[in-house]
Amino acid sequence: MNTFGLLLFLLALGLLWSRTMSYTVWFLAGEGVLLSLMVWTSEPWTTVTILVGLGTLVVKGGLIPVLIHRLLRTWPAAFRRDHPLPLWAYGVAVLVVLAVSHVIHLLGPTGVIHDTLLFFYALSSIHVGFVMIVARRHLLSQLASLVAIENGLVVLAVSLAGALPTFVELGLLVDLSLGATLMVWMSHRIRHEMQTTDVMTLRRLRG
Amino acid sequence: MSSAWALAGPVIPLVLAVVVLRRHANQRWCTVIAIWASLVWLGECDLTWHLVMQWRMWAVLLDVTNLIAASSAWDSVIWLREHPHMVPFRYYGWWSLFWAALLGIALAHNLALAWLAVEFSTLTSGALIIEVGDRHALEAAWKYILIASVGLIMGLIGLVFLYASLRSQNLGWAILNYQNLHAQFSHIAPMIRTLATVFIVAGFGTKAGLVPFHTWLPDAHSEAPSPVSGLLSGVLLGLSLFTVVRFVEAVPTARGAFLSGSHLLTIFGTLSVVVGALALLVQRDIKRLLAYSSIEQVGIMAVAAGLGTKAAVGLALWQFALHALIKSSVFYGAGHLSVLYQTQRLTKITGLLARYPVGAVGWAVGILALAGLPPLGLAYSEWLIFRQLWQHHAYLVIGLVAAALTVTFAALVYHLMRTLWRDMDALAPASPASEVH
Repeated sequence: MNTFGLLLFLLALGLLWSRTMSYTVWFLAGEGVLLSLMVWTSEPWTTVTILVGLGTLVVKGGLIPVLIHRLLRTWPAAFRRDHPLPLWAYGVAVLVVLAVSHVIHLLGPTGVIHDTLLFFYALSSIHVGFVMIVARRHLLSQLASLVAIENGLVVLAVSLAGALPTFVELGLLVDLSLGATLMVWMSHRIRHEMQTTDVMTLRRLRG
Repeated sequence: MSSAWALAGPVIPLVLAVVVLRRHANQRWCTVIAIWASLVWLGECDLTWHLVMQWRMWAVLLDVTNLIAASSAWDSVIWLREHPHMVPFRYYGWWSLFWAALLGIALAHNLALAWLAVEFSTLTSGALIIEVGDRHALEAAWKYILIASVGLIMGLIGLVFLYASLRSQNLGWAILNYQNLHAQFSHIAPMIRTLATVFIVAGFGTKAGLVPFHTWLPDAHSEAPSPVSGLLSGVLLGLSLFTVVRFVEAVPTARGAFLSGSHLLTIFGTLSVVVGALALLVQRDIKRLLAYSSIEQVGIMAVAAGLGTKAAVGLALWQFALHALIKSSVFYGAGHLSVLYQTQRLTKITGLLARYPVGAVGWAVGILALAGLPPLGLAYSEWLIFRQLWQHHAYLVIGLVAAALTVTFAALVYHLMRTLWRDMDALAPASPASEVH
């Protein structure tokens, strides 16, 4: 289980580091496959675990990366790369990952953490996702960071409670697929209407 | 029975949108949807009236949601006629799903279910903003979905901590029923309760438009179709806030804890009233003006709910119901005014009294009600909330909120006078004297 956590954390770091959007697609697909494997290996095979794992694979490993990939294919090369990550983001990323050990130290006496190492990887992935959402400027990078945070959250739930309630997990998958579809559609429209994929240019509404 | 009836409400418009409006974009079908929404509200009132009279929270939330949905459906008929570029079947498809999400929040007896419904409301209302199709709407929808989703993820983290603390119960998602949470809260470590409270107040507070998590709100509410702005401002903000209130009632934090739900609601509520009031002074867009007024109003509700007593929460509910009625009406009005004047800029929407006297009277009543002028409803609920604050010796909050409400009154009356009378001289026939000069 901890190996899955470590791999997810490394993929989250890859997402933060990568400027090329096609790599982002692969990292996201990798996270989706990892999560579905995690569901299938963490619990005994029942209809529910098979369904949740399959849903995760279809939505996170298939639908979302494919939607982003199909959109990127239609864009000129200039719109397929993000701006370089600002230097401060590296520093903040290191700090927020280090801060996780302090959180573990604080929560230790409450006994709420089920698997400490997995908790470290999960919360670190979430923190890295938050850094990415603030530091990255490409429309699709922001979508990717939202998905990455959500993936980290699923692992966080495993590290704390074993799993999320099935109902919530399935609801999340529905919400995520609808949300990602809408955001991909919006990215397409924004690129078409404003000839940009940079979120910093979305500054018309002020005051 | 009433829950089943309520949830059946959005199904008919959804079916009509997908099956009928897709082929025949006929005005008559839009009217049928409005009639259906009104019937759902009337039926619901009949079923739940005795509970509303007892001031049961879920019954009041449900009836107000259905009432505003019905009024939004009627306004949609006119609004779609004014905006022929909109595709009715897509509009009503998303609108029905948005209505369903709102009902889901109002009826949720479980925190996880409420979370899913709030997230679903973000996506469906975001889609309605995208449907408007211009650059401003796209920008607003992007910010809305992104910021609200990040906020809600924070809420979900809090929810996961609660779930993990009670995992030994083996009840599945029923662990997060408000009733179960209240019965079991003493088994949750005080630090986890505080942590979950901070995350959940911040998460759902983002959707409630509480300052400092409000940045998406003025953009989304001003760029949404007006009938949707009415639902967003009048209903969704309040429903999200009352989800926080239900949670805070179910899982009290340790006595004297600084980061308790009540303290957070009071702090964010007061901030919202102050920031909302100050922002009203400098607004240049008619719908942004109303959006900031919503922030200020939700702040008042949060301050009342922060007191935590039954009477204060009841007053917050009263404020919610009155605000929903008034704010949705003025949003519909603002939408039609911006069509009549071909702009949303307040500097251009002037001389209303001379041009459209009947509309001007309605607009004036709505704005004065928002400003808190007696004998219009909000004046009483605000006054009673002040009384509650006084009884709880919350003098600093009273001072800040009273000052902010004075600013609100001044700002709204200033904008009202400009829309009613400014430029009337320009409309009057030129006098002989002016002809000479």
